[in-house]
Amino acid sequence: MSMKARIFSTALNKMERRVYSTVTIIVIGTFLATMWPIYPLFSRIRPFVLGMPASLFYLLVLVFLVFFSLLALYRWEDKRGKFE
Amino acid sequence: MDNWLIVTLVTVGYLFVSLLVGILAGRRASSSTAGYVVADREFGFIIMYFVMGASIFSAFAFLGGPGWAYSRGAAAFYILSYGTVGLAPWYFFGPRVAALGRKYGYVTQADLFAHRFQSPALSVLMAIISLVCFLPYLILQMEGAGYVFDVVTEGRIPPAAGAAIAYGVVLIYVYYSGVMGVGWTNTFQGVFMMALAWGLGLYLPYQLYGGVAPMFESLSQSVPEMLTAPGLDTDGTRWTWGGYSSSIAISVFGFSLWPHYFMKIYAARDERTLKKTVVWYPTFMIFLVPIMFIGFSGVLRFPGVEPADAILPTIVTSLGLPAIVVGLFCAGALAASMSTGDALVHAAGTILVNDFYKVSFNPDLDDAQERRLIRFFVVAIAGVAYYFAVFSSFSLVYLLLFSYGFLNQFMPLIIAAFFWPRATRPGVLAGLITGCATVIIWTYFPELQWQKIHPGIWGLGANLVAMVSVSLATQPMDDEHVLKFVVT
Repeated sequence: MSMKARIFSTALNKMERRVYSTVTIIVIGTFLATMWPIYPLFSRIRPFVLGMPASLFYLLVLVFLVFFSLLALYRWEDKRGKFE
Repeated sequence: MDNWLIVTLVTVGYLFVSLLVGILAGRRASSSTAGYVVADREFGFIIMYFVMGASIFSAFAFLGGPGWAYSRGAAAFYILSYGTVGLAPWYFFGPRVAALGRKYGYVTQADLFAHRFQSPALSVLMAIISLVCFLPYLILQMEGAGYVFDVVTEGRIPPAAGAAIAYGVVLIYVYYSGVMGVGWTNTFQGVFMMALAWGLGLYLPYQLYGGVAPMFESLSQSVPEMLTAPGLDTDGTRWTWGGYSSSIAISVFGFSLWPHYFMKIYAARDERTLKKTVVWYPTFMIFLVPIMFIGFSGVLRFPGVEPADAILPTIVTSLGLPAIVVGLFCAGALAASMSTGDALVHAAGTILVNDFYKVSFNPDLDDAQERRLIRFFVVAIAGVAYYFAVFSSFSLVYLLLFSYGFLNQFMPLIIAAFFWPRATRPGVLAGLITGCATVIIWTYFPELQWQKIHPGIWGLGANLVAMVSVSLATQPMDDEHVLKFVVT
């Protein structure tokens, strides 16, 4: 068997690999944060934020977390000329 | 003028605009199969954003979504949860899929996997599974459309007619314009849906409680168990974290793999467009928040509504709203249904011809013939779905339960395709079949679902075990071929 299973391309340098790993961890972390055992810690009614129970507002925070993380990654890739 | 007539006219107005947009859109694509199926790989960001957003928001958005919040409280939060990260995997594997699609001319999901694993049988199997997953979903959309039209016109436009009118329009623009029609109408329908969701989602709490905050304050006094996850189960008892979490998990795993979704990767103009769509996609999820407000607003004010899915139509028709507003609601609900139904019916026809018929019976099918056949089957499949939606009381419950379970069995395929060179054809076939069989067994015998964990998860476990063991026990695939696909 000559090929190894890889997650990241060997063409990436250490810094790039670290950026992708970080974003991947944030995304997976967010996914886990919507479920047991993390979400139960935050699934409470109070405090109300923007009129919503904390259990709902927490999920909105996660939406924005993913959005801003991927947005940052996208802009970083753009700056490095990945989309030309 | 009678209320129901105004409602109908507003709805017909919406349908007319949809039809116009859908037909005109067709002029922008070439008359090849690639034009019909993947828009010549030229979709820009706005269209991609709305296709992805509107396709997943089906009639469920205005019927089931509020219904869940109304009857099960915070259990409905799972819907908001899975969309958050659901599309994120595309950021990472999407560009690879698109590049391979351009290089080898793929138009469907199965095209890629059949090529990677050198297996026509895999193409046929995926086609069958895809169609099995699509059909109940499509039937539900037609039923939803018919139901809403019936309720808002107080029965004057019966479900059979409502579904026929809405889906007659869908058929016309999908037939003529293919995926271009889907894309442009989804953009129009998506804007419409979002406006309706926010409009009703803020108006109803104000009307019924004096605001969102007073509404939740009130609920926290009377039914606090509805405001914390995992919320309630269908029988009113507390749902389990296992049920709640696994529902999110299988929805997330399956999200990026729905065949009618996946094939849109090929339609994106370039990597930038694809990634930008993924980045902005979570913002579409935000419109689920007012959807939940709608369901919650019904809890104390409209007790005992059965089935729960009827809560929004019930509220809308009970509040004495102006007929134009009711008409807009009907149009919005139809938009939600049609924007999913059009993608489903278009993909179903394409997959049946490209992945099943062409592979099994006629590999020499030329482009013009293929396009003609796809159009024929788009109509035929819509007809079959309509029959079941209107004339048959066949229960969709099991089929729907199977759908996500089966869909999840595609996940090991995508992982193996790009990250595991040692996967073999017998291995992935064994995995897929074992996974699906497990889903069926665990669905028919719910006692097997420890902690109410979804059958799809059990299927995934069995799938991975079978795929890995059979792959390792069989001959490795040719290096040169595998190198075209895997990350190196």
